[in-house]
Amino acid sequence: MAHKSKYEVMRTLTEEKKKLGLEILSSHEDSKLITHLNSCVHCGLCAESCIYYKADPNEHYVPAKKVDIVASIYRRYNTFLGRNIPWLSKARELDDSTVEEMLDLLFGSCTTCGRCTSHCSIGVDINYVVRKGREMLSRMGYVPDSLNATVKAAMETGNNMGIPTEEFVDTIKWLEDDLKFEVNDENADIPLDIKGRDLMYTLNPREPKFFPLSISAMAKVFYAAKESWSLSTKMYDVTNYAFFSGNMDEANIIAQRMDDEMTNLGAKKCVLAECGHGSRAFKWEGPNYLKKKLPYEVLTSVELLAGYIREGKIKVDPDRLKEVVTLHDPCNLVREGGVCEDQRYLIRKIAKNFVEMNPHGTDNLCCGGGGGQLAMSEYNERRMKIAGLKADQIKKTGAAIVITPCHNCVDQLMQTNATYKLNVKIMTLAELVADALILD
Amino acid sequence: MILYWYHWMTLSAFLIAIGSCFYHLIRLIRLGKPTDYSVQQGSISKAVIYSFTKAMSPTKKESAYLHLPTYTAGIIYHLGTFLSIFLFFIFIFDSGFNLTTNYILIGFLIISGISGLGILVKRTLKKELLSLSNPDDFISNFLVTFFQLATALTLFTNEGIIIYSFISTALLLYLPLGKLKHTIYFFAARYHLGFFYGWRGIWPINQNMKS
Repeated sequence: MAHKSKYEVMRTLTEEKKKLGLEILSSHEDSKLITHLNSCVHCGLCAESCIYYKADPNEHYVPAKKVDIVASIYRRYNTFLGRNIPWLSKARELDDSTVEEMLDLLFGSCTTCGRCTSHCSIGVDINYVVRKGREMLSRMGYVPDSLNATVKAAMETGNNMGIPTEEFVDTIKWLEDDLKFEVNDENADIPLDIKGRDLMYTLNPREPKFFPLSISAMAKVFYAAKESWSLSTKMYDVTNYAFFSGNMDEANIIAQRMDDEMTNLGAKKCVLAECGHGSRAFKWEGPNYLKKKLPYEVLTSVELLAGYIREGKIKVDPDRLKEVVTLHDPCNLVREGGVCEDQRYLIRKIAKNFVEMNPHGTDNLCCGGGGGQLAMSEYNERRMKIAGLKADQIKKTGAAIVITPCHNCVDQLMQTNATYKLNVKIMTLAELVADALILD
Repeated sequence: MILYWYHWMTLSAFLIAIGSCFYHLIRLIRLGKPTDYSVQQGSISKAVIYSFTKAMSPTKKESAYLHLPTYTAGIIYHLGTFLSIFLFFIFIFDSGFNLTTNYILIGFLIISGISGLGILVKRTLKKELLSLSNPDDFISNFLVTFFQLATALTLFTNEGIIIYSFISTALLLYLPLGKLKHTIYFFAARYHLGFFYGWRGIWPINQNMKS
């Protein structure tokens, strides 16, 4: 099952690298890690909650295996039984073959969707253990090259797509011209780097690169809401792929850049574009990377849009969408991020025929594109196999439009749409709300 | 009440087990709960209560409702374990029950022992489970199952007390070493899960509804 060919040119695990990896398991800020490393009872009942296992019922994909590979290393170096009678609990040495298996299990067989965690009979935070395992691999210098390249682009250019600032500004300028034309107002704008505005809006770099109309969609909504806002040319990237790679130093740097830019622009709110992991990485994980409470409000664009309607700042046409629509719940936004109802509130305001997938909400099935999978071309085949589960869900709803408030999920769903010939439209909430706006 | 050598053996093992469990518990308490700098959006206490109650409901967890026979066997097995622990103290203090109660307890322990054996057989026969398992899994199951059956035997006849003492001693000495430590860590895991989901306003589930 392991794609050994990828790791044939295996970097030798030196004692120094090993030490760096093991430090992750032996240093504890709190009781969370040792709790989860000591809790799994190997019941294997998590299997059917995992999209990898559901798509391919193979022992390799049982989530407990992912916990066990990390826990077995922990046992080997940190417990009485593991140190003295390792065979009794299959306590494993951290060596090249273990690293190879860790890479395949933790990067190649997991989207970190967290579904297994919520269904675990004990309550092991499998997702957390997987991310700790990724952190170990990252510290030792073992992150899949394609994922590392995405993080590197973000570190070097400020955005994970490596979009030069001039290109970004050009894109925004023509979108601004379009906006002026669309709303018939020369004063309509897409502000860049304006200090003292109420909110700083962020983007997924896929938007300026591939989906610029989603930027103008939000710009139109901001215009309708008479919002005081600005983009930043210096740091607009909501994503933090270091959250996926497990490189905490880089995750910290990316979060710090966002924080610095918020301070620089002096905005009161940081609004995170439709991106599951991006919103989680800054709203929930960011303050912990930076080890400080953020002095401004951080909210997702989903919450903002819902707030606009509740407060009467924007009006939408309830008859705008007559087609059957369904919603794909991004894991990091919903199950791990707590934003579950606002998107449903918004959809019910603009769509007549909303059909939920089964399961949905905090029990949703991952699209298969999470956990950095979209960046890791090494695992494309597995990713598209898992996508079959989502394809089945979509087919069963009979929907013509699949709405999802996450650009990562959009990308995966578009590939799913093509591969499984679903003939659906994939749209973000911002686009649909903007389309349904009733302008004064 | 006369304490014989086998009583002292099991009591000593019990004290060692309790001491070891306390060590694990104190370590957990000293390490403490996570510090979260993000803005709390839910109630930790409500979520932790939810974590121990409704979140454990068989209607909420696929690990339960997709595996009802195994889930049921597991519940019975754990109830048998709790009963056996209770009876451990009954035996130490040389108390007893009337005949009817005895037979009811014996009956239940035989059923729970069979449940344990069933789980052991499943672990051996199911490829995914066998691949996941290690000797500790089998030893733990073996010790707990035979602890329950030995308890049943001792209820049936006083002559079972020696076997019972050896099995319970072995179990108690092994408990803090292998996966049976989940006796302590289970509670910590449920707490941490409640903390994580509660902080983010995800648990309890109904709390997340907005108009």
